[in-house]
Amino acid sequence: MKLNIIDLPKDDYKGGPSSLCPGCGHDQISNVVINAAWENGIQPDRIAKMSGIGCSSKTPAYFLGKSHGFNTLHGRMPAVTTGANVTNKDLHYIAVSGDGDTASIGIGQFIHAIRRNINMVYIIENNGVYGLTKGQYSATVEIGSKKRKAEANESPPIDLCAMAINLGCTFVARSFSGSKKQLTSLMKAAISHRGTAVIDVISPCVTFSNNDESFRSYGYVKDNQSELHAYDYIPTFQPIAEVEVPEGEFKDITLFDGSTLRLETIGGDHNPSDAVAALSQIHQAEHEQRHVTGLLYYNPEPKTLDEMLELSDTPLAELTNEQLRPSEADLESLLAEFRA
Amino acid sequence: METIVNDFTFNIATANGTGSQSSNIILLQSMFEMGVPVSGKNLFPSNISGLPTWYIIRVSDEGYQAPGDRTHIQVLMNKATWDNDIASLESGTVVIYNSDVKLPVERDDLILYPIPMTTIARGLNPKLARMIANMVYVGVIAELIGLDDSILDSAVNKQFNGKAKAIELNSNAITLGREYVVEHFEQICPFALEPREQNPESFIIDGNEAVALGSLFGGVTMLSWYPITPSTSIAEAIISHLPKLRSDDDGKLTCAVIQSEDELAAAGMVVGAGWAGGRAMTCTSGPGISLMSEFVGLAYFSEVPGVIWDVNRVGPSTGLPTRTQQGDLSMLYEVGHGDTKHLVLIPGTIEECFEFAWRAFDLAERYQTIVFGFSDLDLGMNPWICSGFDYPEKMDRGKVLHTQDDIDAIENYGRYRDVDGDGICYRTLPGSGLEPILYRGTGHDEDAVYSENPEVYVANMARLKRKIDGARTVLPQPILREEPEMQVGIIYYGSMENTIQEIDDILEATGLKVSQCRLRSLPISPVVEEFVANHEQIIVLEVNRDGQLYGILRKELPIDLVPRVHSVAFSDGLPPRARKYSDMIREKLLEVMS
Repeated sequence: MKLNIIDLPKDDYKGGPSSLCPGCGHDQISNVVINAAWENGIQPDRIAKMSGIGCSSKTPAYFLGKSHGFNTLHGRMPAVTTGANVTNKDLHYIAVSGDGDTASIGIGQFIHAIRRNINMVYIIENNGVYGLTKGQYSATVEIGSKKRKAEANESPPIDLCAMAINLGCTFVARSFSGSKKQLTSLMKAAISHRGTAVIDVISPCVTFSNNDESFRSYGYVKDNQSELHAYDYIPTFQPIAEVEVPEGEFKDITLFDGSTLRLETIGGDHNPSDAVAALSQIHQAEHEQRHVTGLLYYNPEPKTLDEMLELSDTPLAELTNEQLRPSEADLESLLAEFRA
Repeated sequence: METIVNDFTFNIATANGTGSQSSNIILLQSMFEMGVPVSGKNLFPSNISGLPTWYIIRVSDEGYQAPGDRTHIQVLMNKATWDNDIASLESGTVVIYNSDVKLPVERDDLILYPIPMTTIARGLNPKLARMIANMVYVGVIAELIGLDDSILDSAVNKQFNGKAKAIELNSNAITLGREYVVEHFEQICPFALEPREQNPESFIIDGNEAVALGSLFGGVTMLSWYPITPSTSIAEAIISHLPKLRSDDDGKLTCAVIQSEDELAAAGMVVGAGWAGGRAMTCTSGPGISLMSEFVGLAYFSEVPGVIWDVNRVGPSTGLPTRTQQGDLSMLYEVGHGDTKHLVLIPGTIEECFEFAWRAFDLAERYQTIVFGFSDLDLGMNPWICSGFDYPEKMDRGKVLHTQDDIDAIENYGRYRDVDGDGICYRTLPGSGLEPILYRGTGHDEDAVYSENPEVYVANMARLKRKIDGARTVLPQPILREEPEMQVGIIYYGSMENTIQEIDDILEATGLKVSQCRLRSLPISPVVEEFVANHEQIIVLEVNRDGQLYGILRKELPIDLVPRVHSVAFSDGLPPRARKYSDMIREKLLEVMS
């Protein structure tokens, strides 16, 4: 049996059987999470999987069965993750949300999680429709995109990547559930990042909007996807010198845990440290009714919430009762101060 | 005229934002230092500057802490309320007023002290005259009732934190106020202060700071909060005491404080932190509880510990944001959709604010659910005399499995399997490496697996009910003061504790001896049922319109006891005054006993 760097089989990273529609893009994303965590050799019990409500948020039941998780409330995953994160800052938080969850009912929490730079991977499984309630448009669907059995959407979309970049999110990527290699590299990099890593994954809804007139159908995305770079994720345990150097131009980004994300130029030369260029890429693609995918923006500098709060090195959840409760002498001196 | 000693009430009418709070605290602190029992009530508007505010100081050798039923000394500084304030005064009231306001006091049955306070203040500092004028009335009052000079000086010193310039300016204003009285008035003030022996253990503190300290000693690891009157000062007090009380050896903090984007998120952070093994809390008021309700339901059903303090203000809706009420009780007990019940701790004293704050974490982790602390604006924001806090009992972290051996010792372990028969199951924590659980707000079986099975649902809901019911005898039990007559009993709760003695004395003066039962938690203790059964008539006394505890009692008491239970409920936004409630009690008893 094939084992990863910490001698665990891939089965240790799998979850229960999916109850989503056969062919759902979300299941492909679950597989990517399983592969990324397994190949990166992360101890499953050091991962916490978080989600909100919706088709996407059901998926933590389908991956990482040996990790604790919390399938929370609609749009409220970020707040729960925030509380958990400051309580146990040493866990990897892999969080799943959908476009209804993030772009509508929970848009405030999405914004504030980014603003606080919570150390988490924030995966948006973005299909443009509300699946569980039978296919209503969500707020991310593009003007002119048309789901099955409905008129084309006329309301302007909320682009969650553009929003994240404007909010100073430290890692912003867009990908496609059908682009397994790209998504896996980005997922691994996101896990290795310290701070909020948003991956907005276009994930077709096979039941309600996989028709060709839908901008989020498999066929449409395949034909209209512009990839910023080709990616190669090089983990810490793989000496980078042993990795074959690509022929064309490339750029290496060193991530928080020491791993590397190698960006190989395909088309233009997008620099992920340039927020304005990233926004320009997004707006240009929207104008041309394309999807731009890849690492849009990356900034490793800002502090995470737990760093800003200057919390104890030991996670708060692991402190002893004696460490949590001030002494009797502390109480006495406080009372003496009040009585003075 | 006979002088009345240590039994009178001040009403000080000023405009918000003119520094009068400092003046009033100095007065209160000075009287307290003389050993005289005092209490203060700040009746302030929802406003930064300009709107009317009144400060009531009750001086009472009896130790009465309610605002009192009449004003004995009125201070008039505010044009806007001038006429109404005068009209409401009883004959013989001392009126100290700023004569620079140039408004008449056209009553000849009052004892008048016109003082040109603005002129005096302008002489000291023209720019700050409006604020300094408020310090002049402190001097006037000090001279009239006999406040000790050195005690007053030390109160000024304390209030201005040793800042020399401010102390000098304000002390001068006080001196000029005193001198003006000596030079211009020969009449004797009918009210006087006499020093009493002060309890050296006592100090003045508000309920919110007591809750903050209790929480810090309770080992809180996360406070998430959204600013809202009247709970904000809990968070601010935690923040101010945090570095000293909760820094580790490296100077790093053992408690995270997050100002959230709204109350939804504040509650969500509490649930996330509790799930991860922390002791988490938030503090809010009624409008915040409304928003938190979805998370309270999640915590109830998925069984995650957390503490929420509700400092009650007047509802419904935005209501009277700076006034007090006991209007959230029934909401706290059952907040959330579906069948839910929550643990509610109801402190009635400052000491209990501290105690229930640390106890709330033990109970939340023991019962794996949300525990509410239920305070109100009167208890939370007004100053109270406190004799000190007892160091908490040994910490209870509840049923948490820490090792594989712990799990192996349990036959057929499941997150929601009730192995002890008390409805409380064992949990493992994220990061522990033990038995992973996917928590959810959806239906789940004993192994935490999604389930819509009818029998599984029924069994789970029955266990949750059993779990919460089990707390009835464990939560802080009612405090009884029973009369041998066992005829009439009053059930009350929370800050009504500070008015009940006066109510009792008024009733007793009319020949009515009543027993008292102070409820200190929900769900209701069986002791309450006994108390009801032992008395012929029961009055449920509360500061709201609908009689919320009365409603809960009607639902939960045996049906044959219900007819003897009667509601006396009233709320006008002000802290409860004894006369109003004792009159209502007598009327109610006349009605039901005739």
